[in-house]
Amino acid sequence: MNKFAIGCGGLVVILLFVGLVIGLFFWGTYNKLVTLDQEVNKRWADVQTVYQRRADLIPNLVNTVAGAANFEKSTLTEVTNARASVGRVQLDPNKAPTNAAQLEEFQRAQGQLGNALSRLLVVSERYPELRATRNFQELQAQLEGTENRIAVERNNFNTAVQNYNTVLRRFPTNMVAGMFGFQQKPFFAAQQGAEKAPTVNFNFGSPTPIPAPTGSP
Amino acid sequence: MVQQSSDRISGGRTRLACWGKRPAFANFADIKDYFGEPPKPTRGPCVLPRILRCLIVGILFLASFPLFSAEVIPPKPAAYFNDYAGVVSKTAAQRFNEQLAQFERDTSNQIVVAVFPKMQSDSSIEDYGQRVAQAWGIGQKSQRNGVLVLVFIGDRKMSIQVGYGLEGTLPDITAYDIREYQINPHFRNRDYEGGLAAGIDSILKAIRGEYKGSGKTHAERNGNHSSNIGFFVFLFVVLMIIFATRGSRRRGYHYSGFGGPFIGGWSGGSSGGWSSGGGGGFSGFSGGGGSFGGGGSSGSW
Repeated sequence: MNKFAIGCGGLVVILLFVGLVIGLFFWGTYNKLVTLDQEVNKRWADVQTVYQRRADLIPNLVNTVAGAANFEKSTLTEVTNARASVGRVQLDPNKAPTNAAQLEEFQRAQGQLGNALSRLLVVSERYPELRATRNFQELQAQLEGTENRIAVERNNFNTAVQNYNTVLRRFPTNMVAGMFGFQQKPFFAAQQGAEKAPTVNFNFGSPTPIPAPTGSP
Repeated sequence: MVQQSSDRISGGRTRLACWGKRPAFANFADIKDYFGEPPKPTRGPCVLPRILRCLIVGILFLASFPLFSAEVIPPKPAAYFNDYAGVVSKTAAQRFNEQLAQFERDTSNQIVVAVFPKMQSDSSIEDYGQRVAQAWGIGQKSQRNGVLVLVFIGDRKMSIQVGYGLEGTLPDITAYDIREYQINPHFRNRDYEGGLAAGIDSILKAIRGEYKGSGKTHAERNGNHSSNIGFFVFLFVVLMIIFATRGSRRRGYHYSGFGGPFIGGWSGGSSGGWSSGGGGGFSGFSGGGGSFGGGGSSGSW
């Protein structure tokens, strides 16, 4: 009887110890995942902020440009439309997306806006009196700065997602992650066609185009 | 000899590691067979290839990172004003350096100016500038109040990178104005000293008053150790390699006189490329760990 009680007690101690170890492991892993998840969310919020900053510049830019004598209307409409379609793809700014398709759609809309804006800046080269105005210079400097910030924040976001995904997928963290419903998060992909450097052709008005040089400029 | 040594490296008896196991030589004929010809008394024919191999392994190890990224982020500078291209007079460089160090003491804002002969990257200057500024950790960590002025003389390009904490007082348009109207007119006339003087003054004027300084620079608070750690690690690795080679060949022949010029030549070569025009003996710079989000203005002149 006495021996049995001691054996029982020993077993309980061992079980308690094993339970404690497992509990500590869950505790640490869960907290680590939450920390990394929060980091991704913070980076996502930063990304949203800089995209929002760009979107906020657009009404002012459109007004300034529209004031210039007979500015190309098609470029302006394009920017306005792209701005509107960006507004339609709203993602939660406080929580990083878990759905890759959602992020892709968001990225496509933002990419269109970016393209429309850069086209507008190219077209504006033909309006020297517009480019000389203080207002336009200011807007252009802000737009360029915003594009740089977008690149930086996207990069930071991707790094945070990579850290999170790496930890998430490794054994044994992946078991804890599965139990508590942590999911892998999608990255920003490089923009379609961004891997190809644009071919620059200086051959204005000549009938036969010279093939673009293969080397980088 | 060259043919033989290359055979030995690529052939069956490849031994990349410096401390690789050494075959036991039973007699002179074996040595002759292994090295091709008998060793001379002072500097055997195998010493050079072996040292070279160790050197190559060491260099590859140290250089593997920049090799892979195909972009060189210059090492952290030791001064606030760094003229690697030699376009500013020594006295002016010292004046700028003191001005910027004093500015950190007064306001805690860290401003670093670096003038390079050429940009070592394929990216745009905006991206590259941001990465360099981030890597150097300019600005205090909590305020994130750093500014980096990067100039590439050969590319006729420059970048003003503004840390997160100064984007309010030095917005993109102000950075653009400073670049376009204060610096560029001088730079177009090849007056780099005048352009940098005007640029530094304008930046200081724009951001003065945003933060309060502690009367000391980050380097002065930390006893100015951090900027030298990289060099000591480097020296340590070199010494390790030397001792490793020396230990493995204690028996046999000596190679006196190899250690001295070896260290001197190598460290000289590594620091020569980045030797600073405004370096020695005064207020040193040490980054406080600030971060950069791409604010500022970049372009060519």
